[in-house]
Amino acid sequence: MGRYEGNPVWDDVVPIPQEEGEGALAQIAYTDEYVEAMGYLRAVMAAKEHSPRVLDLTEHVISLNAAHYTVWLYRASTILALDIPIDKELEWMNEVALENQKNYQIWTHRQTLIDHIFPTLSSDPAAAQAFADAESAFMAEMFEEDAKNYHVWGHRQYIVRKFNLFDSDAELKSIEALLHEDVRNNSAWSHRFFLVFSNPAYTTAGSRATEHDPKIPDAMIDRELAFAQAAAHEAPQNQSAWEYIRGVLRKGGRELATLEGFAGEFVRIPEGGEEDIRSSHALDFLADAWSEKGELDKADMALRLLGEKYDRIRKNYWDWKRGLLRGAKV
Amino acid sequence: MAELKLNIELHTKYWKRCLKSVLPTGYSSNDSSRMTLGFFILSALDVLDQHKKLLSEKERADIRDWILRCQHPSGGFCGSTNHRFPDEYYVDVGQGKELMDPANLAATYFAILALTYVGDLSQVRRRDCLKWLQTLQRDDGSFGELVTTNGTIEGGRDMRYCYIATAIRWMLVGDQISKEELKDDIDVDKLVEHLRSGQTYDGGISESSQHESHAGYTYCAIASLQFLGRLPDPSKISYSDSLTSPNLINVPDIVHWLVSRQVGYHAEDHDGETVSQKRPGPSEQLSLDQLSLQDSECVGINGRCNKPVDTCYVFWVGASLDIVGRSNLIDRNPIRRFLLEETQHQIGGFGQFPGKPPDIYHSYLALAILAIWKEPGLKSFDPALCVSAEQREKINAQRSIALVPTRTYWKHGYSFSIKEDDPNFEKAMAESEDAPDLAGDTSTFSQAVKT
Repeated sequence: MGRYEGNPVWDDVVPIPQEEGEGALAQIAYTDEYVEAMGYLRAVMAAKEHSPRVLDLTEHVISLNAAHYTVWLYRASTILALDIPIDKELEWMNEVALENQKNYQIWTHRQTLIDHIFPTLSSDPAAAQAFADAESAFMAEMFEEDAKNYHVWGHRQYIVRKFNLFDSDAELKSIEALLHEDVRNNSAWSHRFFLVFSNPAYTTAGSRATEHDPKIPDAMIDRELAFAQAAAHEAPQNQSAWEYIRGVLRKGGRELATLEGFAGEFVRIPEGGEEDIRSSHALDFLADAWSEKGELDKADMALRLLGEKYDRIRKNYWDWKRGLLRGAKV
Repeated sequence: MAELKLNIELHTKYWKRCLKSVLPTGYSSNDSSRMTLGFFILSALDVLDQHKKLLSEKERADIRDWILRCQHPSGGFCGSTNHRFPDEYYVDVGQGKELMDPANLAATYFAILALTYVGDLSQVRRRDCLKWLQTLQRDDGSFGELVTTNGTIEGGRDMRYCYIATAIRWMLVGDQISKEELKDDIDVDKLVEHLRSGQTYDGGISESSQHESHAGYTYCAIASLQFLGRLPDPSKISYSDSLTSPNLINVPDIVHWLVSRQVGYHAEDHDGETVSQKRPGPSEQLSLDQLSLQDSECVGINGRCNKPVDTCYVFWVGASLDIVGRSNLIDRNPIRRFLLEETQHQIGGFGQFPGKPPDIYHSYLALAILAIWKEPGLKSFDPALCVSAEQREKINAQRSIALVPTRTYWKHGYSFSIKEDDPNFEKAMAESEDAPDLAGDTSTFSQAVKT
């Protein structure tokens, strides 16, 4: 007797067996438990049954194969059909997500259910706030396991957009806290960029991350530059901060040369003396800043230093850039 | 240092085991992507040039049947037979058939590819598949992974789906589509717009320009643009491109981002812990430890800035550079050393990172990048389709055959299909009977039996 066969609750259901055939590709040593659960899942799907026992069955299947792409959809439609309170489902999902860090179906499922209750939720600002706070708390728990979990960061953007948290102090603070924890957390830097430069209150709708956006106030550009510069001082060889600086300059329509002095703090090249380089990214930054100003000899020297001494791992690349600089055919 | 060599025999053994024996229960969580695993197994054996030796005609036929069993009656394929109901469940409900468990985009791509090793593209229901593909595209140009009975497109926004859609369209010759079929084609301009808008502030690509750039997504966007013939000409790159950055795909910035993924690897730093999770100590400012001052013997590749290295990213990054014609910008030797010395496993195959047991996914992608880099003993490799160059040629030949229209003729009350380029085509059509009147409740078959 299995979990379903011979069980009075499932007595009326005839499972639909898998038609595997002979000599199949990538055969898996399924357990009897898995084979049985899949047969019953097919049967309830064929009968379009949406009932409490289906919730148990889908939960069981998910525990065996969380990447089953249709069981999640079937579960969502069952929850909606039965009008199950969403918070109960979220609670269950939190556990499943913590156990399945790499699974992405669970996040789509979560968003389907949030989309469903959102119209009701948004009519009550206090309830909406409480809901968003609970989501943030759960994501903080996920970040304790892995602060760079891609799916969780994707969900975080979804929540920010859905509940318009762009101006939320708590949101910006929590990103700062994560960066305080690990200043090299590129996911957190990336989220900050999104939060600041996609805020509908003062940005051009649809402006891409790689474009100048004239609507952004100067003070905002200054604030972000100061934040990233402080981080670069803290860890000069952290590429995340340097990329952020370049991104902010581009958003603000400012030239790299406007930060030549700052980058120069990490790069001292006295004439005739030994140079003192504390960040290859600063040198890279200066090469582009000098090239932008037409100081090609200086730019070439910076690229040469990178390839020959300070970033030898990318020597071929720096040599290629030197070739581009001279307009040489490559 | 001893010369490194890829042990072809050992890897053949690994892949032969994957082909001939049942995968361990742990793979159950991959049940829904069995088609993907199946493709990796067939293609790996092809790249190792063992494919023909290891499969008998009977085995090829069984595998072909299994793949075709996963074909969905409404177009596309399912991820495994656990997602495919017996035929009688797909009943006609007026506006098409009952979907049951809908076809899946990734499964469809890998099924079509896998089929080309044991059968050919004529066994794919091409028109149905292209029509179905069109229903997966969203208004913003992106693709979902499946579409439900009520027309909802499911699956996150994910560059992988765009890549798969363009590759399927290419294989099923959507790029040479006839006027008649044009209405079933995807919206290419919208897709290109979506792909190009995925570049983020640091030059890499993500699911949108607001997300964190990722090597897998970067590869998918670049390979998709190549399939669509919309990649900017790499020979026209100039230095100032990367400084003025148009809002289209900026190749110098992508290249900068791709080469930045290389990280010097020192086994003693990695006793199972991930790198750079910790806050830098106060002395870090003055320390030059993090600069690449010496030549690294061993170089790994990560998928995002400041993340640990991982075998599969050697492929995603290396293949991307190859597609944009810049493979020469990285030094392959230390990266090859990383794969062969650190992640290659003693039982064959490759693990995700040093010390991990081999798995099908990482083993395949490691072989793939080594093949792109012309490793002795491996067939040359197509970076965009992710199969051997020979297989791509074979598929290309099958593509043109698939384009020849099939017509129906009637003989003794039965219908037959014939390709227009068949030597007997003219004769068969000339001799064809009129199609029988199918009105009424008796089938052609029973009429034939009665008479």
